[in-house]
Amino acid sequence: MIAFDIVLTLGLLACAAMALTLRDRTASIAAFVVAGLLIALSWVRLAAPDVALAEAAIGAGVTGALFLRSARRIGPITGGPVGGMSASIAAALGAGGLSAALFWAFAGTSGPVPYPPLVAANLEASGVTNPVTAVLLNFRAWDTLLEIAVLAVALALVVMLGPAPVVPRALGELVLPFARIVVPLAILVAGHLLWQGATAPGGAFQAGAVLAGGMLALVLAGIGPAGERIVRGALLLGLAGLAVFVGAALAAEGLTGRFLGYPAGAEKAWIIAIEASLTLSIAATLCLLFTGPVRRPHQ
Amino acid sequence: MSAALFGLGLVLMSLGIVFLFVAALGLWRLPDLLSRLHVLTKADTAGLALVALGAACVSGSLAALLPLLLCVVLVAISGATIGHLVARSVTRRETAP
Repeated sequence: MIAFDIVLTLGLLACAAMALTLRDRTASIAAFVVAGLLIALSWVRLAAPDVALAEAAIGAGVTGALFLRSARRIGPITGGPVGGMSASIAAALGAGGLSAALFWAFAGTSGPVPYPPLVAANLEASGVTNPVTAVLLNFRAWDTLLEIAVLAVALALVVMLGPAPVVPRALGELVLPFARIVVPLAILVAGHLLWQGATAPGGAFQAGAVLAGGMLALVLAGIGPAGERIVRGALLLGLAGLAVFVGAALAAEGLTGRFLGYPAGAEKAWIIAIEASLTLSIAATLCLLFTGPVRRPHQ
Repeated sequence: MSAALFGLGLVLMSLGIVFLFVAALGLWRLPDLLSRLHVLTKADTAGLALVALGAACVSGSLAALLPLLLCVVLVAISGATIGHLVARSVTRRETAP
């Protein structure tokens, strides 16, 4: 496997270099997406399938789509490279120093890492058997709540800035049957990932990204509902995730006296309910970040 | 029986890798975009299907076959659709005044 790891690392470095140095936006975004997929593969090799799923769906897929959208609005690259030789050397020195510091920090730690045994010992109490979901939605649910708040802020900023909505050009007759197969499958896979998150790798972020991919396929095929009321509804759905999470946190506080401390015995139901609303909200948010909200008439 | 299945899986996977290698070679050596698309969409899909089938044979379980089959179907239809879209945009650009 060491040969595979070396090839993977070299390919990753090559893709990263291409993404940074290519003078064509589409090509450099393609290199970025391939680098994201290789990073996902690296996470699999590091035995972190949850992170791999999130990286593949959000890091490579949705971010790549957002980059392509922005590249189309910005237009081609003009002028020479920024900074030149001295900037490259400074960046290389900075990156090298950071890597050395990280290596020093990891090489300096000795003995077992305290966190995984702690999670394993308390897994029973969390209500789920996937340790990652137990951390994200129970032990450290506060962090996840703040992450959802960041997403909501991003969505609010996009709405306030009011970018021109994407009007997809008709993509021809083959995209319609493609969407007819892919969109129902995306919904099924998202539901599967959501439910599976309790016992195996998966969860709200991965499911939401897959669902957003299905929605985007619908939009790009030109058959997505595009009326202003639909977009308003998607906006509400996007912000509803944070509202549901905060509401659940307060309700749990009222029931058990602990912030985000779910009632004993019903943890799984609480976690799945929160994750289900987060899935819909994340999907709507990612989709709206791509399509942009409808511009109001008076603007 | 399981040894035969394992051997069959290895043969199928090797065959699939040959297909993928030919696709990569074609992408590298062929002169223009349309012929590159031609080799990519077909040889890639066939190669992936063979590798997936081989992997299913090696694992020897029906439960593993289903997700692999789903992967193959998804890659096949998205590859065909994207190939069509790329070719379409190129012919559009060439025939535009």
